[in-house]
Amino acid sequence: MSDLKPRKDLLDIGSLGLDEIEYVLGNAVPFKQLFQRSVKKVPTLRGKTVLNLFYEPSTRTSSSFEVAANRMSADVTNFSVSSSSISKGESLLDTIETLQAMQSDYIVIRHQAAGVPNIVANHTRASVINAGDGYHAHPTQALLDTMTFREVHPDYAGKRIAIVGDVLHSRVARSTSTLFHKQGIEVGVLGPGALIPEGRPAFMQRFQSWEDVFDWKPHAIYLLRVQMERQEGQFFPSVAEYHKMYGMNSDRLVSVRKLGAYLMHPGPVNRGVEVTDEAMSYEKSLISTQVENGIAVRMAVLHWLKPETQKD
Amino acid sequence: MRLFKNGKIASEASPELVEADVLVDDEGLIVEVGPSLDGDGAELTDCSGCVLVPGMFDLHVRGREPGFEHKETLETCAAAALHGGITGLVLMPDTSPPIDTGNQLKSVQDRIAELGSIEMLQAGCLTKGRAGKELAGFSGLARLGVPMLTDSDRSIDCPDLLRRCMEYARDFDLLVTSHCETPALAKAGVVNEGKLSYRLGLPGLPSISQEIAIVRDLALARHTGVRLHLQQISTGMSLDAVRLSKQAGVRVSCEVSPHHLILSEESVADYDTAFKIQPPLQKAADTEALLVGLLDDTIDVIASGHAPHTSFEKSADFGSAPWGGSALETAVLAIYDRFIANGKFNWDLLIRKYSSAPRRLVGLNSPVIEPGRQADFFVFDVEAETEIIPDYFRSKCSVTPFLGQTLKGSIRETLA
Repeated sequence: MSDLKPRKDLLDIGSLGLDEIEYVLGNAVPFKQLFQRSVKKVPTLRGKTVLNLFYEPSTRTSSSFEVAANRMSADVTNFSVSSSSISKGESLLDTIETLQAMQSDYIVIRHQAAGVPNIVANHTRASVINAGDGYHAHPTQALLDTMTFREVHPDYAGKRIAIVGDVLHSRVARSTSTLFHKQGIEVGVLGPGALIPEGRPAFMQRFQSWEDVFDWKPHAIYLLRVQMERQEGQFFPSVAEYHKMYGMNSDRLVSVRKLGAYLMHPGPVNRGVEVTDEAMSYEKSLISTQVENGIAVRMAVLHWLKPETQKD
Repeated sequence: MRLFKNGKIASEASPELVEADVLVDDEGLIVEVGPSLDGDGAELTDCSGCVLVPGMFDLHVRGREPGFEHKETLETCAAAALHGGITGLVLMPDTSPPIDTGNQLKSVQDRIAELGSIEMLQAGCLTKGRAGKELAGFSGLARLGVPMLTDSDRSIDCPDLLRRCMEYARDFDLLVTSHCETPALAKAGVVNEGKLSYRLGLPGLPSISQEIAIVRDLALARHTGVRLHLQQISTGMSLDAVRLSKQAGVRVSCEVSPHHLILSEESVADYDTAFKIQPPLQKAADTEALLVGLLDDTIDVIASGHAPHTSFEKSADFGSAPWGGSALETAVLAIYDRFIANGKFNWDLLIRKYSSAPRRLVGLNSPVIEPGRQADFFVFDVEAETEIIPDYFRSKCSVTPFLGQTLKGSIRETLA
């Protein structure tokens, strides 16, 4: 792996090479093994600083990055900016100036506007890690999803995964499906027509019903969070109807169990919308594993990226 | 006296260029046009390898004065126009305050007269404050010779209000200009809805936003009999609607920008706000349809849609950055580079679409390079190239999708 080109930022999945993906996922495995030890820390990033910059509320992702950075022995600063207190966009360059002055080595950024991490990355020497921007990308989510799927299906190529729900407003769907596709995993989608965008890549075949999904014999079903807060306008009549049409209920769980398929969800779960309580306790649910792998993958990403802050 | 020697003269009458020298007197009047003039004592300008082209007229320009002088002033706007071969233009009324009364119009007209620069006509608003609620002061605007009424980049959402605007404007024989957008569909969209909005994860703006607005506006124009001009047509279906209406005798004209003729959504560099152009760049098939529409005269006019902003304003994220950029100084060059240089069409078409047709719409005569006429032309060097860099611009704004490109040809000077 020594011939890997050094990379400063992780902004999306599309630009990653297979060698880079293998490198990160390969390193995530020993990092995860560390979690079983009494000392869960490695000294790799001692003396380095990680800035968690969240323009959108998030506890899970920001905590996951914080834990990952701590386990790498980096110093972490959490910086959450409520979106109402900033005049969006226009202050962005000023914010970057400030960040630059803080001399952080890594900037983990989440922003409601797509493309903001790209702008930050172009204007700072720190490594920028995109922790979710608009509907655009969430690359560490894709990496942790792939790690999780590969753990249960080591012979992952040619396997099938069905993504269910709001693809239109989902950066998770975009990044995860792209990475699955790069790994040779087939991707199908199910959801209300208005939320399955026409402009999606051709490899994302659309199913009209759960029956069609089950006939396709997926190896995992990936339920997306219903993002009521991100939608402008109405895309389906009601949450109750969404649950009826697309939710994972006990009837559908019977089919899932019969197939031996796994359940995945990026969290946080809307119980009673995407999933019923019963489905939450399904023995092949990978939701907790996804959270655990999130830390390992983020450690591997911090380990991999090369900030330009330490040249001299 | 100045003698422009060894050049070729372009006109809308013929695709053929005519080799002739042009003698211009000190008053800016063309004295003589013909082969091998000697023009005793005249200052000689060698135009070998150059085409002399009648000055362009841009129907869709933002001068930003009053109110947004940090983006552009009438002075920089005029300088930019001349630099781009444009000798006349119509200013959008989306200033602060907006130009919605005779008094507002008068103050801008006075400012233009004071500058004494190129021909700049100030358009007026359709509705008060461009708020889309009540009619602006049409009669006051009309009395001062307003060239058109438009709410600039705001579409009038209420069809009843637009109908009343049209009926009232018709009595003054005023040209009503429509931005062609359906706000309820456009919403927060910033790029064409489809592959691009999916890839970039940006809110999509569906092409039906323009298409529905155009069909509605055409129906209203047909109903009211007003003269309607549609700004910045961008899709094939929009064109089809215009084509049918023209066949049915509706008094409609429409324009396309060089950006929409040349660029498609495929050209949008990732999150580069220079490509945030209104309406959003469309599919390649639409871009091709626009060229067909230009050639078959469905599209009457080329207009730049010049919308200057500061680099700082355009450096915001794609969603928040304002629409548009600098267009006056790249319009002729980009069209020459992409269409005329490779024979897609000739100078005569450009002159028709970007000089005489827009002037006719606002009741002006078109410049011709003939004895007895005012010298109103630019000298275009086809053998040179122009590097589009920030220093090239006379406009305060140098944000353009062509930044960093070298375009064929060079505008040596413009006389007006």
